[in-house]
Amino acid sequence: MDRDHAFAELIHEYIAECLPLAEGVTEALLEIERQWRDGHRDAGELGALKGRLHTLKGNSAMMGLRPMQAVAHALEDLCARLVADPVARSDEAAALLIEGGGLLSDLIRAARESDDGTAAEVYVARVRAAVDAHPASPEPALRLERRRTERRTPSDAGGTIRVDFRQLDTLLEIFGEAMIEQSGLPDVHRRLRAILGQCDELAEFDRVIGSVSATMKRLEGALMQTRLLPISTVFGRYARMVRDVARDQRKPVRMVTEGGDTLLDKTILDRLGEPLVHLLTNAVVHGLELEADRRRLGKLAEGTLTLRASTVADRAVVIVADDGRGLDTARIHTKALALGMDVRSDAADDLHQLIFVPGFSTADQVTELAGRGVGLDAAAAAIHALGGSIEVRSVAGEGTAFVLSLPLTLAIVRSLIVEVDNERFAVPLSHVAETSRVRTAAMHEVGGRGVLMWRGSAVSVADGGTLLGTTARPGPRDYCVVLFAGARQRGLLVDRLIGHQDVVVKGLDPALGRPHLVSGTTILGDGRVACILDAAGVVAREAA
Amino acid sequence: MSLPLRAPGPLAFVDALASQTAAAPEPPAAPLLHLIAFQLDREEYGVPVSSVREVSRVAEITRVPQAPEHIRGVMNLRGRILPVLELRTRLGHPPLVAPGPKARVVVAEVHGRVLGLLVDAVAQVLKIPSDRVVPPPDDARSIEADYLTGVARLDGRLIILLDLERMLQAGPVPHA
Amino acid sequence: MTTARPGTFLLVDDSPLTHQMYRLVFSRGALGGSTLLHAMNGREGYGLLAAHPEITLVLLDLNMPEMNGLEFLERRAAEGLHPEVPVVLVTTESTPEDEERGRAAGATEYLRKPFVPADLERLVARLQRDRPAA
Repeated sequence: MDRDHAFAELIHEYIAECLPLAEGVTEALLEIERQWRDGHRDAGELGALKGRLHTLKGNSAMMGLRPMQAVAHALEDLCARLVADPVARSDEAAALLIEGGGLLSDLIRAARESDDGTAAEVYVARVRAAVDAHPASPEPALRLERRRTERRTPSDAGGTIRVDFRQLDTLLEIFGEAMIEQSGLPDVHRRLRAILGQCDELAEFDRVIGSVSATMKRLEGALMQTRLLPISTVFGRYARMVRDVARDQRKPVRMVTEGGDTLLDKTILDRLGEPLVHLLTNAVVHGLELEADRRRLGKLAEGTLTLRASTVADRAVVIVADDGRGLDTARIHTKALALGMDVRSDAADDLHQLIFVPGFSTADQVTELAGRGVGLDAAAAAIHALGGSIEVRSVAGEGTAFVLSLPLTLAIVRSLIVEVDNERFAVPLSHVAETSRVRTAAMHEVGGRGVLMWRGSAVSVADGGTLLGTTARPGPRDYCVVLFAGARQRGLLVDRLIGHQDVVVKGLDPALGRPHLVSGTTILGDGRVACILDAAGVVAREAA
Repeated sequence: MSLPLRAPGPLAFVDALASQTAAAPEPPAAPLLHLIAFQLDREEYGVPVSSVREVSRVAEITRVPQAPEHIRGVMNLRGRILPVLELRTRLGHPPLVAPGPKARVVVAEVHGRVLGLLVDAVAQVLKIPSDRVVPPPDDARSIEADYLTGVARLDGRLIILLDLERMLQAGPVPHA
Repeated sequence: MTTARPGTFLLVDDSPLTHQMYRLVFSRGALGGSTLLHAMNGREGYGLLAAHPEITLVLLDLNMPEMNGLEFLERRAAEGLHPEVPVVLVTTESTPEDEERGRAAGATEYLRKPFVPADLERLVARLQRDRPAA
């Protein structure tokens, strides 16, 4: 590919995104061929491929990769024709589709090398010939209709039903609201008690509050259970990827997976993908030796990658291991010193942990695939943001194992990240009524305190800086976040709205005491810790 | 962290690592105290090595509003959120706005509670015979005195021994 | 020819690679220092637009799951959400009829893929010049 191209540096990302897409297309095409051979000559999933092919075409075009763009376009055209024209759905057409899918995958896989485009040209010409040879025949809508209902509807054996995952998300959202509402009860009880004094009815009320709370906890547990999926769903994806990277590197590799039935929350699984890809690629590219070297060392020529998952107490442990050359402790030590790092210990285990530091890579050749030292620290950051941890164990000459420890469920809060005096805070969206630009005309001062007219009422406004202690005196702020808790509201003035983010909540360490303004902490995507604001605390706090 | 144990296979060496117990040599008959020494201002302090999990570089410390005095904030330590104690002020030294290049966070653990101690520099591991330790001098500043177990003389240096348990247990002052 | 200025841009596209490309383009030259908001489909993008009054320009893909570009525009028109913010439809190819439909739904401009960073800069500069709010 043209190295001067504007987006040349994204070639790794291009391959990482488009290769699985292309392979998915090929798999779907294989399935369609099977169905056609079985006699179900309907359009099936051909129409659904349009989106993926369109993305492949667009991305390839943006990267200046014309052969891929042309093949994707040809596939789009061929699919469109076969959807419109049932007569054209022949075995030859199916073979042509599959050939195109394979060609596209091969081209993408080899995207870093320059290609003279002949294979693509030839294929495109053949597709054109095939499409032109069968002028579209008018398809009576009726016949199509009948065919559609004949299609096998997906059903699951046993006692399961398909539920759209978004519905589970909705359930959890509603549950979250119920939790918040329920959390107001103890306060009401306290205030009643102050007025009425102790009495049997109040004691009963207290018991009921307690049992509602316990039931809510059980409900939460059950809801979280519905979101659990076996990790085998992501394992499958990687076998293919590993095979391709291995072929790319000309190293024979086999991948062994264990513990595929280990259940993990879907959100964690979704986010685990990227870091796992980094680790696997890293293992094949840097961990495993070349075949000749392995033979010389008396190892099996075929390298083994192991993906093992299990549950240990309340954590899921995922191990990514290779039986390759292991980490070169001496080289890490040298590199660390060269980078100006102050290395206290020369214990192998401690030195090995250094590979997660940004910018650290001891590979001789910086391959575009995994060698920039970008992969490991990004992988570590992604795992930390999930509330997990990652360690590496290695024995020189025998192999390397990355051990990931992940929580089984996540306490996640959809938050608005705001910035005040360069400090970032997470504000739970469930308590945000509105955000707006500060228009000084709408701000007033009543009795020395800031007040905002909002939806017909006067809402007291606090400077985010003085409230959160970032500064001693209030300054001009650009945005106002109107928070609410129960029936009360407060406007909070901040400098910037960074964006919405799902943040993993970590409880407050007891050493931090019981701040009223902060309900927890989280690690943002960039690795920085941010405090999660307690809306009730912010709303209740007397203005300074 | 303990790893699931399995039959030998490609991960045999990992399993071997998992089943290894840290075999520390038996302490010699003579009671030697193993300390990590660090510096605050011009004073040298020591804490037992057994209480120290690791010594980390100072990553970005996020301030926590309304946190107790002496807690400088929290730090991301490989995914764990670690509270960081400003040891200087806790022991009566004036605070430093920004930690210097040699500053470190000593990650200490006592009775399951983990805390980071921000220090100016970490010196080394010392072995001090326990009979060299004397009680702190009477004129030691009263703030410090609560957290000291004693003082040791070593090659002309004065190492002040900290009572980590006391310091970690000293609960935060509840905020109004 | 005026130069583009940094701003706050909403990027709506279902391809992570495209988002990376946007990041590259908006991190350099005249557009460097811009704030970027990323959405992976029309629904997410709509939510972000509603929540962020500071957005100065929207770059919108056509083909996305959940809510595509046209549906996004239609909803925006129906609900009158930030009508002053220019929306650029980004697409691989389009017929004049497609373009008409897009503009009728409320798209301000079309940007054809593939584009190079200079194309985007020029477009942004032009929009910023013509609509000071951008």
